[in-house]
Amino acid sequence: MVDINVVEAKGTARPKRVIDRLGLAMRASHVLVALFVVAALIFAAVGVIQDDRFFLRLGTEALIFAGLALSVDILLGYTGLLSLGQALYFGLGAYVSAVVLKEVPSFWAAMAAALVVALVIGFLAGLIANRVRGVYFALVTFGLAQVAARAVYNTRSLGASDGLIGVPVVPIDLGVITVMSNSPAGFFLFTLGFIVVLYAVCAYLLDTPFGRVLLALRANERRVPSLGYSTRNLRLSAYVLAAVIASLSGALYPMLRGFVSPELLFFTTSGNAVITVVIGGVGTLAGALYGGVILTVLKSVIGSLTEHHLIVIGLLFMATVIFLPKGIMGVVRPLIERMLRGGKR
Amino acid sequence: MFLDYIQFVLAPQMVTGLSLGMAVVLVALGLTIIFGLLDVINMAHGEFYALGAYLALALGASGVSFWLLIVIVPLLMMPIGYVVERGLIQRVFNMPDRHVTTLLLTFGLGLVLEEGLKVVFGPTTQRPATPIPGAVEVMGVILPTYRMFLIGLGAAIVIAVALVVNKTRLGAMVRAAAFDRNMAASLGVPVERVFAGTFAFGVALAGLAGVLLAPIYSVFPTMGRDFIFLAFTVVIVGGMGSIAGAVVAGLVITQIQALSSLVVSPVWSDPIVFSIMVLVLVLRPQGLFGRLGHG
Amino acid sequence: MSVVLEVRGLGVRFGGIRAVDGVSFDAESNAITTIIGPNGAGKSTLFNLISGMIRPSSGKVMLRGVDLTGRPPYLMQRAGMGRSFQITNLFFELTVFENLRLAAQRLETTGRFLLPVRRSERALARVHELVERFALAPKAGELAGALSHGEQRRLEIAVALATEPSILLLDEPTQGMSHSDTADTAALIRDLARDVTILLIEHDIGVVMDISNHIVVMHQGRKLAEGAPAVVRADPAVKSAYFGHA
Repeated sequence: MVDINVVEAKGTARPKRVIDRLGLAMRASHVLVALFVVAALIFAAVGVIQDDRFFLRLGTEALIFAGLALSVDILLGYTGLLSLGQALYFGLGAYVSAVVLKEVPSFWAAMAAALVVALVIGFLAGLIANRVRGVYFALVTFGLAQVAARAVYNTRSLGASDGLIGVPVVPIDLGVITVMSNSPAGFFLFTLGFIVVLYAVCAYLLDTPFGRVLLALRANERRVPSLGYSTRNLRLSAYVLAAVIASLSGALYPMLRGFVSPELLFFTTSGNAVITVVIGGVGTLAGALYGGVILTVLKSVIGSLTEHHLIVIGLLFMATVIFLPKGIMGVVRPLIERMLRGGKR
Repeated sequence: MFLDYIQFVLAPQMVTGLSLGMAVVLVALGLTIIFGLLDVINMAHGEFYALGAYLALALGASGVSFWLLIVIVPLLMMPIGYVVERGLIQRVFNMPDRHVTTLLLTFGLGLVLEEGLKVVFGPTTQRPATPIPGAVEVMGVILPTYRMFLIGLGAAIVIAVALVVNKTRLGAMVRAAAFDRNMAASLGVPVERVFAGTFAFGVALAGLAGVLLAPIYSVFPTMGRDFIFLAFTVVIVGGMGSIAGAVVAGLVITQIQALSSLVVSPVWSDPIVFSIMVLVLVLRPQGLFGRLGHG
Repeated sequence: MSVVLEVRGLGVRFGGIRAVDGVSFDAESNAITTIIGPNGAGKSTLFNLISGMIRPSSGKVMLRGVDLTGRPPYLMQRAGMGRSFQITNLFFELTVFENLRLAAQRLETTGRFLLPVRRSERALARVHELVERFALAPKAGELAGALSHGEQRRLEIAVALATEPSILLLDEPTQGMSHSDTADTAALIRDLARDVTILLIEHDIGVVMDISNHIVVMHQGRKLAEGAPAVVRADPAVKSAYFGHA
């Protein structure tokens, strides 16, 4: 069989011409995530040596929110749908996890519950949200989250405006090893692994015919039906997938912090996830992870200087939209791609 | 008993709803005109509304009378809007996916503005004194004078805006640019300035709404965020880019909100309003009325 | 020759106006059936009715004996209908390779839908075959948006053909092309007709007369005449409606 992915260019001096640019981009993204993991492991090692608690837990939180950003990127970067209410599923996962953990302190039960609830609610809300597209989709997702936040805020059994506190420490039984959710380094490493698995699942799916049709949807929705695909079913699948990713990330939150509050469902949370993705790089997946860390670092660095760090982040965000529409990954990833192409000589 | 209910509960509630409705219409009017003409979802619109309220608060504290504020604040807002349009929105106007890009950009701007208000004016809630105290009695129903004034002024502004857009040469240019910007440009309409001017005008309307609502709903940095969802709902239900739609939907939705919080519970009024929005989107995605400049 | 596509009494109204009114014809296998007619005759609307983009208010569309009337476009495609568009409708931000691969991936079994794309060997082989046949191989790694107009029009046809459809609907494939490109495309279409049934809308009357086996003439939403090129050319009603008043 002829190898369609790489053809020899005329003259052997130049690197091989790659025809499947999307496959190359995805491989470059894997490299960037690998670098990310190495950096995170060094961070964890330093944390352990320094007997740090604060920064490891902050890092864990950054990773959890990176999971939320990942779900925003699936919609915005790969399907072309801007969700302004992704916090709905993050908060949902967090609350479901908190409620389950307070009844049965089982990690797997909490995750399973967050998964099932996200599938059900994601499917139902997806039916509503996918009736419309473009800015209408953004506003409907915004509204859905707003209504859910208001409902939680007013429900006394969910702790109303105080949220739910006293979520117990859970052992996370991974077969070979058991991690306690209150161990700073242990839970950091576990969360890192978890988010990398989420990334791997997304990256895998986006490199299948299914994922490529999602990209086609973003590129030119009108042509997709004549490829033999129902745009509605595709959008709904992407929406449910994103809901699950957000919910599973959210489910880790109460394990880290021991509480959940309605703020997790608020627009600020959804908005932060969008900022994360835009700064990191829309449609890159790795950008969600890097963006999550960058935003957290910025918040704590600038936050230590002034309480009005949001001005700086807002300005940075605006500058990214104007000057770096593809975010940081838009600058970095092409370098890695060139390296990968050259390396195959 | 029933008449008492009307006189003391229902009628005042409806008037409260109507005065809120007028303010929502002013904010929604700006949003919808900006969308109709520029195809831009202005996520910072709520913060412009808040900015108007804060300007009124600051100027009012230094002795400017309320009547002057109604004029000065919108005039101050206009250059701000103009600069934002020329300096920010125009920059990304021709990027792919204008809707998302401008939405993100104005979202960022909203963040900066909101935080800026906190820096300058502090995070606390402030409340200017009611400019027109007292109450009037209409057919046995006691109503606050200021709310009645708000309803009257709001109606006058809405009519004035409709007249400007539909009857003047300026309005004709705006409508032409909204319908087909290239054609309008070839006919000699200064499209870029019309865009910036329209944006400035929409921002001024939001600022005016801020001035008018400050004495009723108080002034706090996140006031725009709470308000904007309602305004967006109104714009979607009325039809993005429709002036008539914004007015009708604004008044109807605020009445539904007012009455549902009376009959059912205030907790449910948001979900009810949201359900209406979803229902309209599902049944009539273009909203109840047509878009500006499109028939 | 067997009938591949049967169109029977197909029509649609737009607010009281009958844009297409009771059109019937057959497209036979491995033949080129061309729809011609003056502007506004309803040719594109007829295409949209056949491919499911517009729901017909009357009539039937049958492909290989299966009634497909009223199905949405994506099911029409699955039933074997491939179509190209009058206004180039590609994934401009994606490569030529990816445009074709996306179309060809329907050739794979459902199970491959969730396997990495490099496992879709049949689709990749099809892409390879198509880039060769359509002389796009040197451009396979380029973005579709960066191609010349003529190349984009060729890619448009190749994408429609990628799924190995029973019938290929081509909406003005030579639209906007230079003379030499038009001639090349005409030759390409004739070559394609050896393996696939073609339904064509074409403005260039020279091309039409040259490559068509069967011509359907539309006028004001109705079928005015049909037959072999020579027959249609000789028809006085066609002459007056289409070629100007004779």
